[in-house]
Amino acid sequence: MASCPRCSAQLETPLGCLACGTLIPLASDASGRLEFEILGLAPAYAIDAAELRRRLLRFSRLTHPDYFATAGKAEKERAERATAMLNSAFALLSDDAARADHLVRMLGGPDENAERSMPKEFLMEVLEWNETLEAARTGDAVPAERLEELRRELEAKRVEALATVAGILEPLPASGAESLRDARRALNVVRYVDRALAELEALRLHRAEAR
Amino acid sequence: MGYVELNVLQPSPEQEPALGIDLGTTYSLAAIWKDGRPVVLHPEGESGLIPSVVHFPAEGPPIVGREARARAVADPLNTIFSIKRLMGRGLSDVRDDLAALPYQASETERKVIQLDVHGHKYTPPQISAMILGKVRDVARRALGVDVARAVITVPAYFDDTQRQATRAAAWLAGLEVLRIINEPTAASLAYGLDRREKGNVAVYDLGGGTFDVSVLSIEEGVFRVLSTAGDTHLGGDDFDRRLADVARAEIGARVGNGVIEDPGFQQAVRLAAERCKIELSQRSEAEMHISLPEIGLNWRRRFTREEFDRLTADLVERTIDCSRRALSDARLGNKEIDEVVLVGGSSRIPAVRAKVEAFFGRKPHTELNPDEVVALGAAIQAKILTGGKRDMLLLDVTPLSLGIETMGGAVAKIIQRNSTIPCHATEGFTTYADNQTGIDFNIVQGERELAKDCRSLGRFRLKGIPPMPAGMARVAVRFHIDADGVLTVSAKEEKSGQSASIEVQPMHGLTDQEVESMLQASFEHAQADFEGRRVVDLRTEIGIMVRATEKNLPAARQGLDKESLGDLEEALVEAKAAAQGEDGKRLQQSRDVLERATLPLAALLMDSVAKKALAGKTLDQV
Repeated sequence: MASCPRCSAQLETPLGCLACGTLIPLASDASGRLEFEILGLAPAYAIDAAELRRRLLRFSRLTHPDYFATAGKAEKERAERATAMLNSAFALLSDDAARADHLVRMLGGPDENAERSMPKEFLMEVLEWNETLEAARTGDAVPAERLEELRRELEAKRVEALATVAGILEPLPASGAESLRDARRALNVVRYVDRALAELEALRLHRAEAR
Repeated sequence: MGYVELNVLQPSPEQEPALGIDLGTTYSLAAIWKDGRPVVLHPEGESGLIPSVVHFPAEGPPIVGREARARAVADPLNTIFSIKRLMGRGLSDVRDDLAALPYQASETERKVIQLDVHGHKYTPPQISAMILGKVRDVARRALGVDVARAVITVPAYFDDTQRQATRAAAWLAGLEVLRIINEPTAASLAYGLDRREKGNVAVYDLGGGTFDVSVLSIEEGVFRVLSTAGDTHLGGDDFDRRLADVARAEIGARVGNGVIEDPGFQQAVRLAAERCKIELSQRSEAEMHISLPEIGLNWRRRFTREEFDRLTADLVERTIDCSRRALSDARLGNKEIDEVVLVGGSSRIPAVRAKVEAFFGRKPHTELNPDEVVALGAAIQAKILTGGKRDMLLLDVTPLSLGIETMGGAVAKIIQRNSTIPCHATEGFTTYADNQTGIDFNIVQGERELAKDCRSLGRFRLKGIPPMPAGMARVAVRFHIDADGVLTVSAKEEKSGQSASIEVQPMHGLTDQEVESMLQASFEHAQADFEGRRVVDLRTEIGIMVRATEKNLPAARQGLDKESLGDLEEALVEAKAAAQGEDGKRLQQSRDVLERATLPLAALLMDSVAKKALAGKTLDQV
């Protein structure tokens, strides 16, 4: 990695230098690698969550606006921006589905508009789940236990879909690899599940309110 | 010639200090970092807790605090309390509140509430500024110096408009806001001072008008908020109201509607209900007593704690629902919470404590005074921000998702709730008609799917898009939430490389221009305020001088010549007399005379102190 323009210590993050406290203005970049670089990591799907968190805390001590509250306007803004980049990168990398989605795009795989389908074996289940959700939406005919069971099924499916994604992205395939399409299909499952879970939660709250 | 940097070996000069201010629904107070810890500021013999109440007398400047609250029953229409519930809100948001509050309210074009008092209109930030002014004044009297910088706390669940309104209030009070921080987070800082080990903490904050629950993880001195949930319309006021409802219903059967709707009666009921609630936290039974001799009303009613708990069970349940959501957002189970902290005066209610303990399965911390803990935490944050403390760091989150209304009234979420701040995100939009040169955006905040169910923060129009076929324009809308949790939005058309202008029209918020004109209006009162403050200052100063003189005079008496002694005694009498009155000129004069008259005494004392210190020492030891 590069070295600090001021004290030439080796940089752990392009945001600035932990040795001398200098913040380095950083242009945003669309390659998709920047988010990993900011946290001092090489692009990969496998990630050590505890290590990621430690880096967030360590780099926050360098960039956080709290340490620049009485500094000049320009430096304050630099700190705001650097910390926003750090936080956004952390949010992206700490979420398995978001990180996978990011990697598929970075490697030139199809986005959710270019590849809208889900794996075939999954479709029967979806039809059944949609029926249950629709019934719950239109009335109280579906008992709470059935909805709770649905929630568990959905969560299990989410884990399964992410395992499929991990199988494809570990190690990272070459740019434009055909397997990225399968990764996208599995991610579409995750997206469907997340929406269904959100709807279940809304239904649960609605029922709690009606009580 | 070269030069030497003389300061190089010296520590940097002490930063100007900053206050931590808890601007509460019922009470406000200030704390400051002093001798290695935060302390609540209060002048000697006075409480630091200032009721957040403003009274407007028919003549003269507004009165804030304890004296204002004392006039609530006698002059309800001109005594404003619970103003925090109206901050950053429109009339339709607070219909329930206003039904229970006795004053007249209207709304500006952009839905900012205004209260009518003596024919003048005041916005909530203006009223809050008066409270902040009082807090600053109390701090100044306690410290002996004026501190104009502050960290101000807000409920974690305050939305963007409510935060902006708080910032405007501080601005109007002449305070420089170093940071707006969330109340539960501040409380966790206050509690976290002593135990810095790793762990997850839940902070349950039930204040006078708002409820927040935040889940934090503490690691290596970094306090990272994982999630927050709450209700900006749920607090001790609502518990009072349940008792007041019973009183109104039972009294209403005896007296006419005229009495029930009388503002003075309403205030009396409200205050009696509050007293009764507080008593019920200490004993299992309490009496609510309303006496209004002018209408021949003398009403008494016993409430048991069980009855009170029954009347308020749903309120407590709502707080537990929020706690459940906060845990789920933090992806933690009840068992993974290592510490629970109770904050806010209403957390003293026994049923609340019991419910919280049952829900989290552990005994909550209550060691720190729940009324003071938020201000203490704010003072710690103020110390961090002024550069005095680098071992602690706070990473907070934005409580509500932010998005943009899309075609068909749905919401495209751009920043998710519980994102660590500061943060930013960019979303692309395009045109839907050929040669469309402008796009209207509606920025919304909230968790609901439809824009109409969320809070609209403002609308803006992106203009100047070059004519091109539908769907070709590439408009990037960028959201940035700063460390105060306040949003700024910018937009740019990227295809043409032309950056376009935006006009943001805040809903429920004050524009910079409006704040400016309010400042102007406050300058008009400034002369009178300045006079009033000078009188208070001089009186305080004279009091200190008189006490010091009277303490030292007996011992030093025989050392003074007759003339000096006579002058001094005369000056003392005059100064004490002046301090009884309001005459600024006389106060100033008598203070100056007294100062001069004490000079011989001061010289004498210095001399005797020096003699004592030097007694028995040889010259080379000096």
